[in-house]
Amino acid sequence: MKVIRSPIIDEDIDKMQIGDMLLLSGYVFCGRDAVLPQIVQSDDSDLTGMLSGSVIFHTAVSKAGLGPTSSNKLEIESSMIPLSQMGVKIHLGKGRISDDTIKQLDIYNSVFAIIPPVTALLVENTLSSEVIAYKELGMEAFYRIEVKEYPIIIAAAHGRSIYDEH
Amino acid sequence: MMNTDLIIDKVKNTLITASCTFSKDKAEAYRLAIQNETNERAGWVLEEILKNAEIADRRRSPLCDDTGIPHLVLEVGENSVVNSLLLKSIHKGVAEGLKELPGRPMAIRGNDIERLDQSAGISPLSEDVLPAPIHIMETSENITRLHILMLGGGPAIRAKTYRVFHKHSVDTVVDEIVEWAKEGVSMLGCSPCTLAVGIGRSHYEATCMMLEAMVEGKYNVQSEIERVVTKRVNEANIGPLGLKGDTSVLATFMKIAPQRASGVRIVAIRPCCCFEPRKASVDL
Repeated sequence: MKVIRSPIIDEDIDKMQIGDMLLLSGYVFCGRDAVLPQIVQSDDSDLTGMLSGSVIFHTAVSKAGLGPTSSNKLEIESSMIPLSQMGVKIHLGKGRISDDTIKQLDIYNSVFAIIPPVTALLVENTLSSEVIAYKELGMEAFYRIEVKEYPIIIAAAHGRSIYDEH
Repeated sequence: MMNTDLIIDKVKNTLITASCTFSKDKAEAYRLAIQNETNERAGWVLEEILKNAEIADRRRSPLCDDTGIPHLVLEVGENSVVNSLLLKSIHKGVAEGLKELPGRPMAIRGNDIERLDQSAGISPLSEDVLPAPIHIMETSENITRLHILMLGGGPAIRAKTYRVFHKHSVDTVVDEIVEWAKEGVSMLGCSPCTLAVGIGRSHYEATCMMLEAMVEGKYNVQSEIERVVTKRVNEANIGPLGLKGDTSVLATFMKIAPQRASGVRIVAIRPCCCFEPRKASVDL
């Protein structure tokens, strides 16, 4: 299985096709409902500057581990396009997202990938974890983790979605 | 004389078991699904889920980071004594189980209003997640048995309790269940699901039946109506994580209460995620 490593560059995205099963390694940001809208509104250039070529995993990070939450929740899905404008290349979560979001991701050469909710396995493959911003949100703060070979599947890329594949 | 320390310890360990392990019949259902799955990506997801269960069991660590809200079902026989001391011991065992697991710290602080908008923040303590109200079932066995179910947030978003005008036809009720299930499973993201279905005379009763269905359901014992629902939802080709494939639903657990003379049935349905029902039982 092909391994990709963050940071992600445009050429990596160009090669990705829906249905690709990949192993993701490197640094990954983590955030969900509470923090992603705040990142979108942030005027902290040090923070937003870190997002170029990044992967954002829609998850909480707690002592119970981590695992994808539904990316189609209002505050998460509505943050995906502004975050793509800021340079995020892979939005990683679960669930079906809207056709409109899929089309707009393509404008910024970003993709949506899904990850099985395999917390025990992901914990074994997480090398480090640190809070980057909004510490007061606890498990919903903005985290950066270092991961080794997370199993992911490209679900939406280049305006197409795996959910509409026949 | 009630040995409260022993009860607390049993409840603690049962909660951890519910959160970390697949039952034998569920693991076997996954192995069968892997054998029968014709979609490569779907098969890969099923293998990852089973691998995750093996790691969680080995490490005694959570199957899913959404460790869920504890739901307690107490089965009581004729000679059972259920008093405040027993209930307090059960609640203490739940808190100790969440602390040791550790459960995801997701209890919202504050008064009624603050808890609605989360404005008072989240408690950092796993054990501050309080269980839902205890449900009691009668049994002919001479036991006091506690069942612990850990119910996650994703299936709660996609669950539904609503009325069905049955038109004096089982098919009408089944058709509605299948349509609701297809919508819920496709939006959930964490499939394959186990469908928990309760049918009653009120929303409360239907939901209680759904909870009992989760307690009693077995993957290797399926009624005709359960098989029909499973088969029809699987024909929708939603697949694990919505990736298409043969395995959208592993099984259906259904329980039907007494019904009223009426054109209406109240149906509660929960598309339990790929790990649910996370459950374990203990005799106290």
